[in-house]
Amino acid sequence: MAILAGASASITAGIMGSYVVAKRIVFISGSISHSVLGGMGLFLWLKRTYGISWMSPLNGALLFALISAFLIGWVHLKHKEREDTIIAALWSTGMSLGIIFIALTPGYNVELMHFLFGNILWISKSDIFLILGLDLIVLICAFFFHNRFLAICFDEEQARLQNVKVTWYYFLLLALIAVSVVLLIQVVGAILVIAMLAIPAAIAGRFQNRMPHIMGLAILLGIIFTVIGTSGSWYLNWPPGATIALTAAIFYSLSFYKKIPK
Amino acid sequence: MSIEIKNLEFAYDKNLILENVSLSIPHGNFIVIFGPNGGGKTTLLKLMMGFLKPSKGTVEIAYNKIGYVPQITRYDKQFPITVFELVLTGAISKCTWWGSYPQSIKQKALEALSQVGLSQLKDQSFGSLSGGQAQRALIARALISEPEILLLDEPTASVDTKSEREIYKLLMDLKGEITILMVTHDLQPILDKADLLYCVRKKVFPLLPKDACGHFAMGLYHD
Repeated sequence: MAILAGASASITAGIMGSYVVAKRIVFISGSISHSVLGGMGLFLWLKRTYGISWMSPLNGALLFALISAFLIGWVHLKHKEREDTIIAALWSTGMSLGIIFIALTPGYNVELMHFLFGNILWISKSDIFLILGLDLIVLICAFFFHNRFLAICFDEEQARLQNVKVTWYYFLLLALIAVSVVLLIQVVGAILVIAMLAIPAAIAGRFQNRMPHIMGLAILLGIIFTVIGTSGSWYLNWPPGATIALTAAIFYSLSFYKKIPK
Repeated sequence: MSIEIKNLEFAYDKNLILENVSLSIPHGNFIVIFGPNGGGKTTLLKLMMGFLKPSKGTVEIAYNKIGYVPQITRYDKQFPITVFELVLTGAISKCTWWGSYPQSIKQKALEALSQVGLSQLKDQSFGSLSGGQAQRALIARALISEPEILLLDEPTASVDTKSEREIYKLLMDLKGEITILMVTHDLQPILDKADLLYCVRKKVFPLLPKDACGHFAMGLYHD
């Protein structure tokens, strides 16, 4: 179950991570992944306090990830000159909300700890269905819109000159990144999502010069890191999310040792 | 087909960049916009393409297909895109509903690459090209959309003398077929090729090449 979840999340991470790294919006992804803490905290608080069963932390994370993506997209398109500051503010606001709601929520929040730091071994059957469903959405969008995403990531102005709906595609791209973040929360946790989104694609980008090839290699690397990290955490009794992220970081360091000419 | 600008004014915040600009770009001509750094040349180009909105005045563009060649320095050399893929992005609006490029567009991309002499490098990464090659790849991207007007922003700013000659030869081949509007701060090499000059220094002054003062060609601007 854990390996299946890891592999599914790696597919999405490999595809969307390649856009994130190529367009140099890793910081934006970091903001989305940390601001989801607000959604997780809010939904867990509502669930525990008012007994609203469908308000799971994962649903809260998805809602806040999409809201953050929309806000960041709006800032990028309309207020570019203050983009980095506003993204940082969103990052800390989401986390602050999360911490406040955690403090307000009655009981011991072991569930939230799993979402924060990840526990791939804790994934349920219904989580797998959610991951596969979101995986399918990302795959379909990437298949149909890849050329448009590539053009927009490379040069928004040129696409705009050809009457491409740049705003719409940019929001779609950010929404898909938000969905990927939520998928990866299951595997490595909200705090470490950025590692699985950026590192496999960053390594692949050192050895390949075409986006489809980078995506393919990033998916493969994501699966390898998940398998090694999960197995390693089992034997060493380490937290699985952190072990997976650490495995990715070690491979990233090694990738600097030798660069294969593209 | 033409571009008509009337009483245009543009400011970033309260900093006035362009003031009381009125000009006309007639079809089929080779027009050069020159002037000092920070004079408003690129801003004027972006206003013509609709990327910026004027604070006052009007910009009327009677062209349906505009080709734009930006400065190569604004691109990320690490971006994973091949030369062929880059040229195809010039026809992104022609993508089918399922997101692929029609065969006819791929053929046009090959022809555009051949026209700029980069057929051999089509599978190379855009970031691995030299300054001159990258500039020609961007021209090929602009040509694939079969533009009625080609706008170039300092196409020879980051290239060596040999590449500069190649780019000017390419533009001379296109002259007459389409309107060419080129922004440059280096007037000397283009003086004998242009039909009309506009000097941009917050305000815009029209000049015929024969009337251009030698000081302008040396980068010394005055009224």
